[in-house]
Amino acid sequence: MAKPAVIVVGADKGGVGKTTVSRTVLDYFSANNVPIRAFDTESPRGTLKRFHPDITEIVDMTTTADQMKIFDTLNTSETSVTVIDVRAGLLSPALASLRDIGFLDAARQGQITFAVFHILGPSIASLDEIAETAGFMTGAKYFLVKNFINNTSFFEWDQATYNTYFHRIKDATEITIPKLNEMAYEQVEVASVPFLKFVANKGQHDEPTNNSFVLRGYVRHWLANVWSEFDRIKLTDIVGSKDARASNKLTGGEK
Amino acid sequence: MRRTPVYIICSPRPQVGKTLVARLLCEFLVAHRGIVSAFDVNLNEPSLIDFHPRITETASIDDTFGQMELMDRLIHNDGLAKVIDLGFHAYDPFFKMCAEIGFVKEAERRGVDPVILFVADIDRTSVRAFDELRKLYPLTATIPIENEHVLRGELPATFRSIRRMRIAALQPFLKSYIGRQSFSFTEFLRSPQNKSSELYDWIRDSYMQLRELETNLDSHRP
Repeated sequence: MAKPAVIVVGADKGGVGKTTVSRTVLDYFSANNVPIRAFDTESPRGTLKRFHPDITEIVDMTTTADQMKIFDTLNTSETSVTVIDVRAGLLSPALASLRDIGFLDAARQGQITFAVFHILGPSIASLDEIAETAGFMTGAKYFLVKNFINNTSFFEWDQATYNTYFHRIKDATEITIPKLNEMAYEQVEVASVPFLKFVANKGQHDEPTNNSFVLRGYVRHWLANVWSEFDRIKLTDIVGSKDARASNKLTGGEK
Repeated sequence: MRRTPVYIICSPRPQVGKTLVARLLCEFLVAHRGIVSAFDVNLNEPSLIDFHPRITETASIDDTFGQMELMDRLIHNDGLAKVIDLGFHAYDPFFKMCAEIGFVKEAERRGVDPVILFVADIDRTSVRAFDELRKLYPLTATIPIENEHVLRGELPATFRSIRRMRIAALQPFLKSYIGRQSFSFTEFLRSPQNKSSELYDWIRDSYMQLRELETNLDSHRP
């Protein structure tokens, strides 16, 4: 049986696109036939659950009962990969909890694969978040995600300052999420379906829908670019799956 | 199932005769198929809608909404031939958008046949743009149009190596005659007293080339 893998997607700031990134990760694994489950910590109403209701459970990560629900089932669950979409402001406390329950030690010893997608916002405060998070990252794969989906410009950053923060964490890797056409993004929101289903012109229950070909094209192209970033960091290898690269399965672009 | 042609008349250069080709094609398709739907993607130039307001709509690709209005109709395999008169301002944005949304691949899947009618010029911009199109869309029929009204000198080798459509130069007074908005190529052909005129032969020759082009699309694919 594959070693369990936990991917935490979070940021201490709200509105930087944590759930969007989580959705692309779930779509990526789904396209790669990697069994997956997700936890949405936006209790009581979760955004991630709206898009991936079948595989997502809403939890309150600050309660012991829900922590048990996630971590005590890592070895018994049929799925090998667990994605946790951590609510704004909860990333550092969540990592502290993981340290306290011995999860980070288990990751360090190689019993569990642990990866963190830290979504950065445009403000300088995000750089301080990196410093805070760095202390928990031994034994984890750490990804700093620059999310341009909403046309964010990281104008407050001085590159030299960013580099000093970035290099504090050994083996930190940067990921870039490109911009998605606003109307396409909105339509997927309205449809409340995974990006993959939108591209395939399907509704929540796999019924055929009539989404715009143009908008589907923009989403397909964007998703292929996001997945090529995941391919670049060898995300499937990290979680122990050897399936083919998902971005090749999307027919984005003309070539 | 019948496939639906989508003719894209384009050039990265202004004033090379795109609208003349679009007019000829629209009238030919109406005569041949009974119906056609045309889209005028021009910003400031006099264009197709001035000549065929009943079958032409203006279209814009400046924003997503305009792109949806146009492309969501072009991708329909409804048997209705479509003609796009693509202004030179819209040349780069249009093909960039097509590449991004995967238009040609999806068209192939749905039974829609894009046909690019590239109005050639002798400058480097045209040659490069044509080569890029052929590279980007290797399975799409991309046909150079040699418009003798505009071309001065020999066509570059890139265009000459491919079967092309040739529009012969008309006498200046005939050229201004066909430039009238009320002029109809098909009506002119139908009038018995015109049969021995230069213009009659010119229209007939253009229609025959278009018919040949339509029936031999495969031979225009690289």
